[in-house]
Amino acid sequence: MRPEDQNRTVVEVVERVFSHQKQDVASIEQLLFDTLYEERRRLETEKDRKKAASEMAFYRRIQAKALKGGVEGQREALVAVIRHFAEEILGHFNETLFRLATQVVPVALNLLLNTLSPLRLIRDFPNGLGKLDDHVLIEGDKAALQSLSQKGTVVLVPTHCSNLDSILIGYVLHRLGLPPFLYGAGLNLFSNKLIGFFMHRLGAYKVDRRKKAPLYKDVLKTYAGYSMELGYHNLFFPGGTRSRSGSVEKKLKLGLLGMGLDAYIHNLIRKKDRPDIFIVPCTFNYQLVLEAETLIDDYLKEAGKSRYIIEDDEFSRLKRILDFVSGLFSLDSRIHVVVSRPLDVFGNLLDEEGNSLDHRGRPIDRRKYVMNQGGPAFHKQRDQEYTQELAGAIVEAYHCDTVIGSVQLVSRAVFQWLKEANPDVDLYRLLRTGGSQPSLPLPEAYRRILHTLDLLKKREKAGKIRLDSSLKKLDPVALLSEALAHLKSYHTQPVLTRKGDRLFHEDRNLLLFYQNRVPELEAPE
Amino acid sequence: MKAKTASKRRPSPLKEGLKKGLDALVVGGGSFGTVLATLLVRNRKKVALWVRRKEQAREINRFHTNKAYFPEAKLPPNLIATTSLRESVAAAPIVIMAIPSKSFREVTRQVGDYLSGEQVLVHATKGIEPETYRRMSEILKEETCALKIGAISGPNLAKELMKGDPAGAVIASHYEEVIQKIQSLFAGASLRLYGGYDIIGAEIGGAFKNIIALVTGCASGMGFGDNTKSLVITRGLFEMAQYGVALGADVFTFGGLAGIGDLMATCNSPLSRNYQVGLRLSKGETLKQILESTRQVAEGVPTTRAVHEQARVLNLDLPFVDAAHATLFEGRTVQDLFLRLSERPTSMELVRLFPR
Repeated sequence: MRPEDQNRTVVEVVERVFSHQKQDVASIEQLLFDTLYEERRRLETEKDRKKAASEMAFYRRIQAKALKGGVEGQREALVAVIRHFAEEILGHFNETLFRLATQVVPVALNLLLNTLSPLRLIRDFPNGLGKLDDHVLIEGDKAALQSLSQKGTVVLVPTHCSNLDSILIGYVLHRLGLPPFLYGAGLNLFSNKLIGFFMHRLGAYKVDRRKKAPLYKDVLKTYAGYSMELGYHNLFFPGGTRSRSGSVEKKLKLGLLGMGLDAYIHNLIRKKDRPDIFIVPCTFNYQLVLEAETLIDDYLKEAGKSRYIIEDDEFSRLKRILDFVSGLFSLDSRIHVVVSRPLDVFGNLLDEEGNSLDHRGRPIDRRKYVMNQGGPAFHKQRDQEYTQELAGAIVEAYHCDTVIGSVQLVSRAVFQWLKEANPDVDLYRLLRTGGSQPSLPLPEAYRRILHTLDLLKKREKAGKIRLDSSLKKLDPVALLSEALAHLKSYHTQPVLTRKGDRLFHEDRNLLLFYQNRVPELEAPE
Repeated sequence: MKAKTASKRRPSPLKEGLKKGLDALVVGGGSFGTVLATLLVRNRKKVALWVRRKEQAREINRFHTNKAYFPEAKLPPNLIATTSLRESVAAAPIVIMAIPSKSFREVTRQVGDYLSGEQVLVHATKGIEPETYRRMSEILKEETCALKIGAISGPNLAKELMKGDPAGAVIASHYEEVIQKIQSLFAGASLRLYGGYDIIGAEIGGAFKNIIALVTGCASGMGFGDNTKSLVITRGLFEMAQYGVALGADVFTFGGLAGIGDLMATCNSPLSRNYQVGLRLSKGETLKQILESTRQVAEGVPTTRAVHEQARVLNLDLPFVDAAHATLFEGRTVQDLFLRLSERPTSMELVRLFPR
């Protein structure tokens, strides 16, 4: 954020967040002390003792002030807490780095890949970035994204299945020649020294997800919304966290997503020249997912509720990243980044000029949606529903722009066989025991791969999904070989192995994880 | 020559009305559209009624009748009919669609040419689109830019409403604004509108009850009494709920006006068109003969086809739907239908329903 914007942002955010709260004496008191309680509990477990002590002192001062100052004192104390949160979020933001972000990232990414292995630097990157360009394919509505970033504020909302997404997106912005995007990244991304180094350069500001106080979340949301009003492009993952199950996001977090509409209405009320907020969904598609093993384990342990923030996964172990990247390069593997068709804040599709279109392609005057008695106005319940419409449109875009590779295809085919061969076994037992047969005959596997592929091709024809080029070129035999080679290149335990004329399923959790990326194909639309 | 100058002097009531702005536009000059517009005009609202045919518009504007649907009734003189969507849609903050499901999409698309996102768009059509299985509110979304949409559903026999008998219905929408606006439009009218958020349930209730009405008509035609009727209605309600919950409806909705309420009125009234179809089928007439002899649309016929097909896909066991389908489209007699139903194995009456 530009220095001239920083101060007024703090002022505006504090004012707005305070005005969002219930204003009666009892509510203010409760909110203040609830927040102080949440914060103290968090600080008790904070590892950085020095930081914890200074923050604790701050909160003690606030509490003393609140207890002494009566009603006014409590109000002031609450404002001080809000300001503390706002300044902390903005304070992590480094202007110079932000400007440098897009120039530094690609170089940094190369460095990341190469510091890990100087040998590889010589072997794999004689031409520097050229190689990376071959492996990361950017597809879809790139032109619209580029042109809309000149016409209004862009909010990029990608799918999220790996921490590599955060680094990859910086590279993608660079390739598309776009300016940096404001991006709230979890603190855990910074905790790894090497990765943190890159994160700082992505335009990222720190989000402390351990802060559970609702007030803190409100500050974050308000900050994101206000920055959109000021014209800063934003980036966030509306799924909220990495997809634990491996499937494409179906439910989105609506709080942050709704800030696009909020900013749009604010802009209309203030009669801004470029009031528009454009929402651009985007999918990241990997053959293999760096953190697959941890994610699916966590999913199976009750949908990841117990460990919302994972700090000890593959992402924090450099050796794993190295293995992952080396697999990517040696197998001619492709990462597909698909930019979906941009949407307005109500979920309508946009043309390249940024005009909203209805399902029949007729232009819509989108300002009308927020008009009330002649002028633009907020309406809480209506706006929540509008955001729900937007979420629906984003999810649909995600599904249409998901790219299925051989690993996902083969995993689905084998897993479908597993389920059909063991109709009376529940999922968890099936995963643990593997059911009645440890393997299936190869011809059966080929037949099923072909069948799944046919269903996928039908879906692709209808524009409901995308397929990696290997699925269009290769026959089932070659597709299985490709998938096996990929799985073997990275995962420590065997997932699927071919012995003689049979195919053995070994790590069914991972099979489940990868097959989850494929939508339900058997049931009709 | 003389007539021409006369018409020049007298400004068209539509143009006058549009100049002042409308409170609502009702699209569809069938029985329900006509009665809704009439109720609103009686409720002192400025309302225009869009009809397809010019002669019909002329009849309503000049003679204040719509004899094809209401041979006896006199319509209020300040009810304006129009054939121009271009002029009328933009002038109304609220548009109410009352078009049979068969041509619903086509007319909605035309409305969509003139609609803006500020307007409220609701419908009062009880049917499911054949082949696509789309509910009417889904068509509203696909064919227009409107987001603030809703559905009116409930026990509303047009002839009774026209008489001014007290009645109730549900306006279901995700948007509080839609519920409030429609409620205030009808506030004080003889039709009371209750609000609800379950648009899927309201639409399913309205569409599904037509199938049950058809079966009830068959039962009456066979000379069966009230016990049979009650059996058909009660078990029919359960089928409705099964089907609705499978599609994402709230099971409670079927205990309200759009569910049991509509079923009771439709299945008990000899006025109901779908009931009439069932009755005449059991007297030995063929579907073709029946459909050719009436101008009004019996929504139950296409709805049976759609629900039957969708139930198969969803793997739902809906005996009455199967029976209605067999009689309408598979050439089974009504006698055969009840025989087949009585041969089914009995099971527990109530089963808990879970959304899929």
